[in-house]
Order: sequence, then structure tokens, then C-alpha cells
Amino acid sequence: MTVAAHPVSVLNARLDREGRLIDADPALAGLNARAGGATGTLLAPPALATVVRLARRLGIVVSRRITVADDDADIEMWARAQPDGDGVRLAVSGWRETGVWTPPTDRESVQPDADWRWETDAALRLTLVSPVAGRSFGFDPFALLGKPLTALFDLESDGDGLMPILSALAGQAALSDQPARLRATGAAVVISATVRQDASGGFGGFVGGVRMDQVVEPEPAVAPAALPTQFTAGLDQALRTPLARIVAHADSINAAAEGPIGDDYAGYAADIASAGRHLIGLVDDLVDLQAIERDDFAPARDPIDLADVARRAAGLLSVRAAGAGVTIDRPGFADAAPATGDFRRTLQILVNLVGNAVRYSPAGTAVSVSVAREGDSARVAVVDRGKGIALEDHGRVFEKFERIDPSEIGGSGLGLYIARRLARAMGGDLSVTSTPGAGATFTLTLPAR
Amino acid sequence: MPTVPPQPLSPAEAAVRARTRAAVRAHGAVADFFLPDDARLDERTRVVAARMLGEAIGGLDLAIRRHAARLLGRAGPDDEAERLLALRDDVAARLSRPGLLPGELIEELIARVRHDALAERLTAADADAEQPSLLVRLAGVPDTVVAGAASALLAAENRRRGDTDHGPGGGSELPAELHHRLAWLIAAALHEMAGADVTVGRALAEATARSIAAYDEGDRLDAVATRLAIAIDARGHELPELLIDALGDRRLALFIAVLARALDLDFAQTRALVVEPDDERLWLGLRAAALERSTIARIALMLADADPRRDIESFAERLDEVAAVSADAAREALAWLTLPPDFRAAIHALGTM
Repeated sequence: MTVAAHPVSVLNARLDREGRLIDADPALAGLNARAGGATGTLLAPPALATVVRLARRLGIVVSRRITVADDDADIEMWARAQPDGDGVRLAVSGWRETGVWTPPTDRESVQPDADWRWETDAALRLTLVSPVAGRSFGFDPFALLGKPLTALFDLESDGDGLMPILSALAGQAALSDQPARLRATGAAVVISATVRQDASGGFGGFVGGVRMDQVVEPEPAVAPAALPTQFTAGLDQALRTPLARIVAHADSINAAAEGPIGDDYAGYAADIASAGRHLIGLVDDLVDLQAIERDDFAPARDPIDLADVARRAAGLLSVRAAGAGVTIDRPGFADAAPATGDFRRTLQILVNLVGNAVRYSPAGTAVSVSVAREGDSARVAVVDRGKGIALEDHGRVFEKFERIDPSEIGGSGLGLYIARRLARAMGGDLSVTSTPGAGATFTLTLPAR
Repeated sequence: MPTVPPQPLSPAEAAVRARTRAAVRAHGAVADFFLPDDARLDERTRVVAARMLGEAIGGLDLAIRRHAARLLGRAGPDDEAERLLALRDDVAARLSRPGLLPGELIEELIARVRHDALAERLTAADADAEQPSLLVRLAGVPDTVVAGAASALLAAENRRRGDTDHGPGGGSELPAELHHRLAWLIAAALHEMAGADVTVGRALAEATARSIAAYDEGDRLDAVATRLAIAIDARGHELPELLIDALGDRRLALFIAVLARALDLDFAQTRALVVEPDDERLWLGLRAAALERSTIARIALMLADADPRRDIESFAERLDEVAAVSADAAREALAWLTLPPDFRAAIHALGTM
């Protein structure tokens, strides 16, 4: 998952001989404070405290990738603690917010359809070339060990004239679909790789795979609406049912319903269930997307009361809101906003809006849902006190696969896109106003009745 | 799975067979029940070790059977050769009945699985884009003995890790004695399955002897790493850096071989100290090699970061105590390990009888 990186590349802190905080850069001090720590006490995030304690007690530099919980998000970072005189110096880099569940970015995993594997060290010298590659494709893998990567591959630019490996090296990100030729035989291959990180999170080498004889065709320039109907028609059957079963089984494994199991297995099961729910959400969104992008999509135009729909949406989310310490101010029973639209689709839009508002609201604040009539349209406004959305992002949040906050848990980036498409299909609209730091207001309008 | 016999069993035979199977299962269940948790194999080790065993048996079975069939075909009518090749029975299943395979063989496989798992999870040390990694550098030094041994280790690791991907590529990678014993067991199983025929037995014997003669244990990863350690011949003051660099290059076999040489132990003994998550003798070994507190701490941290079962926190508590052990006292505590293995086995046998 791509996530917001902290703008400052390295954050520093100093700790005394007992591991108590002397001073820290503001972002680090803030993280510590939110976890309940303060100057003069031990660091509060357990993983950070551990790194410092180990450095102090072992008397050596300790460098680790750790994850620290901060409000809703988990923050992944590299922490390097160095004994310094009587105390310890702490440097934190590579600060990235991640969701609670993120698709695995396993640095050791290579694409599953690779025909054979290769690895390099940080200087791009080959440290592994699958023996099977030589037997099958006519060169001596052993003679290449220790040689530069370019002794194995002639790297080529891709269809856009770019060299994926360069961006992979620069951004230390995974390398995908790099076209190349085997230097020994001239055979066309496609290589990909993940980055192996070194002890400080720097580039430690590539762990790569090779697909033989495949040329990456440029993506056909067809509008996304060309998703064939038959592709999604069976999605419900084909994906939802097995996914639901996977989630149910994983949940019962996690709950040790069949009897006691090891903690690590219970943890894996929870990961599986969480990933499964993420996928079910994505399938739901794709089915919606397919429906609304059809030319003949026509939601019902029934008489509905926006105030009633808003109350229901708020009710559906009240448990989640309570869990997050957020209250929802919903329209009173006296309020009414007669409109024309599809009841189920309108509820879907409002559940999405109120759900987002709850998610981005700090604990102790309220989400306000109010209705009004303006000219010939009825409108419902959902207001939160969250961090808001920058002006330049106001349009972007309604685009396909975009997110207000990339650290969003399990989101597909389709929710607001679908919501606006639905609103417009019903003759209304969905818009946002927001000032960063002061919350956001999403307004749904529908034709008044 | 045991093979289905060609003839239906009589009720009495079926009863005997069922009784035997029930007894084996009951025995296994009781043994399993009393096994302490830290002696229990984790799932990954069990699965990978079983796969390695299957591959070792499968590779040898095929080689022996093919050559024996060729010998039989040359000597007389082809039907015996064809019968041998067509045997459907599962040699691995036949040999997996309790008590048949030598315990040392399984110990060796498990130690190797643990070695590979630990090596795979080691983190690369902070890298310098201008400088190749340790083993690549060693493969390019002017000293041809060191460079040759380093290239051989690069190749051996490539073979070992490549084999894990794509099934057996080379030999069984077993020590010669275990390889020999396994080869004869496979020949015996084939002999039994082929109806214990004298002609077939002779062909199997010749094919097995050929297979054994062709086996070179010098190609094994352990042996190659040991050759490199000897070629480098690290002096006392070079030892800490070499050990740290070997771990930082994720070359666990080299780390073990260098430490083994410093302690005058063999590779397998040293590997046992290193791959077990809580073997006190590792710290004694590092002290016996006269390593200082900070080097021991760095090694402990690198191993702990690669193996979550290692308790670095409680080790940190004890580090001062470990560092205070004199090198002489540590060497003395490990003296038992320096006795010849057969002698140790004999002493152990007397102690248990």
C-alpha cells in the first residue's frame, strides 16, 4: 500500500542512561506523547523502547524495522539506536503510515509465475541464479555468480521509453515488468524483483524472478467502462461465496472454535480473515462499478425522504462511531426532506459518507448529518471535524481508485467515485467543501419533490 | 502409504497386519503426548525435512534402479529389467516405517532445514552500493586459493537454494557415511519389492556400489564452506570482523565454518550450537574464540533478528556474565565436543546402559 511518508527524512531523539527521553524532534515527540509518553520518562511506544533498551544493554548499535501504533494508523519506520556516552541516540527514518491490514509487501516474495529466480547484492552483483535456468535455457548460471546483473541481462526500456529498474533503484520499490534479453542467448524475458532491505532499511539487493518469452503488451487504450458484463455477472457467485467461506473459516480458526491452537496460527487466521473482508469489499465495489458504468443504468426514481434515509445511515453506523468515540448528530424525527431517488442507492451513498466521516473524526468530536431544501433540490450535508482535504484534492477524491487517505483500512478507492456516479444518475450530485485541518463537508443533492 | 498386496489377505493375516499397525500408532501417540514442547518439530521443519528425505530417496532410487535394470538387460532377458523399472511400490514409504532409517540421517536433515531457515531470514548488513558483498569480493581476491574456495561456495549455495525451488538438482548432500547407508537401504527395499531374486540382488548391489563410488561429499555446502574458512585462515584479530561480515552477507554456512575452525570443532557440531535458538554452548563457543562483549552482542542480535524464538532481552541481561567467562574456562567447558565423535558416542552409550 502506498502511504504518506513523513516529510522529514530522519527524526532524532536523545535518551539518558536509563532510557528516559531527554529531547526529540517534534514529530517523534508527538508520536511518543500520543502513546502516553513524555520528556523525562521511558519511550511509550513499546517497539521504540525495545530498540533503545537493547542498544543500551548490549552496548551496540541496534537497527530495526518496527511498527508503532498511532491513533488509527500503524506507522512503519526504521529505528536506529546508538549508545552515545552515557545515553542513547535514536534516529528514525523511512516513516510510513500503513493500514491495519496491507497487502503483503513481503520483501522475499517474487511473482509466482516466474520461471526462475535471480538475486543480487547491493552492488547489483549476482548472488543467485537458479540452476534450472541454465539447464532449460542454455547458459551456465554458475559462471554468472558474482558478476554484475548486466552480465545476465541486457536491460531494455519499456513501451513508455522508461527503464523500470532505475525507478526501482531510486525509489527502492519493487521492480516489475522490466523488459530484457538474456545476454547469453538473446531470448526476450520480463524480469521483476522485490527489494531486499539492509539492516537500516537501505537497498540491500534485488530478489528477482524471470518470465521467459513474454513481451509485455501495452495496455489496450480502451475505456474502463469496457469491463465486459459477463466478467462481473458471475462475480457474486464466483468470488463472494468462496471468500465468505474463507473469512468464516479463518474467523473460527482465529477464535479457536475447533479447539486450542498455537497463537501464531490464530494470528495468521486473523490476517486471512481481514484480507478476505478487504477482498469482499472490493468485489462489492466492482459489482457496483460494473452496474453504474453500463449505458442503460437507471436507478429507480421513487419518492423518498432524505431525512429518513440519513437517520437510517446514521443508525447503521452508530456502533462503529461509538467504538471510535465519535457521536453522530442525525436529523430529528420532525425533519423531512422529500426527494426523488432510489432508496437503496441513496442509503448506500449516505452510509459511505457517514462511514468516511466517522473514520476521519478524532475521538470526542461529532459528525453532523443535516438536511435542507434549496430551490428545487433537497440536500443532506455530512460534516466531520477530521483533518480535512486539501483544495487541490477536492476533485481527486471522486476519481476512480483515489483515496482521501491512502492509509485507509481496506478501502478500494472506489467508494466516493461510485457514490457520485449514483447521485448523478439519480439527477442529483455529490460535492465536497473542506479546509485542511478544519474537517470536510460532503453534500448530496437530489431533485426535490 | 503401504502398497496394496497383489493377493487378498486371509482374515488371520489381516488381523495381524491391523494389530501391528495399531501398535505402531499407539506407540507413536504415547511418545508424541509426552514430548516436551521445545522438543516438538514445528510444522515447517517437519514438512521441509520430509520433502528433503523424499528427494534424497527418490534421486538415489531412480539412479540405482535404472543402472540395475541396464545391467539386467545386458545379462539376459529383458523382463526382469522391465519388472524392476515398473515397480510401483513406494520406496520412501517402505523405508519410513519406524526404526528403519538411521536417526543420524534425520538429525542431519533437520539440522540442515534449521540452518537454511535461519540463513534465509538473516538481514543483510548495511550495504554499500560501490562495494560488492563479502563472498563476491572474496571470489575476486588475488589469492587464488581463497578466490577458488569462495567461488565454490557461491556455487554450492546457488545449488542448495536452487534445489529448494526445483527439486533435487545435485546429490543428496548427505555426509558420505549416511549417503552409503541410505543407498544400501534403498537397494534392500527394491530387492524386497522385486521378490528377493538372486540375479536382481546382484544387479542392485553393483548399481548401488557404483552410485556410492560416484558420490563426492566434498561438493556439499558444509565441506565447501569449511574449505573457504581454511583458505582464509583468519587470525585472532581478524575473526570478529569475518564472523560479523559473514552473517551480514547472509552466509550462515561461512559463519559456522569460520567459527568451527576457530574452535577446532567440526561443521555439524558447530552448526548445532548456532541453529538451536537457546544453546548456551554458542556463547561459550564465542568466548572460547576470545570474542569480545560487543562482537558477541552483535552476533546475538543478528541471530535474534533472524529467529523470533531467540530471546534477545534475556540474553542482554546475561551479556555481562557471558563476557566475564574467560576464554580458557569456555574452552574447557566445550572440551567434550572436541573429542572424536565415535569416542563421544561410545561414552554416551556406556552412560545409558
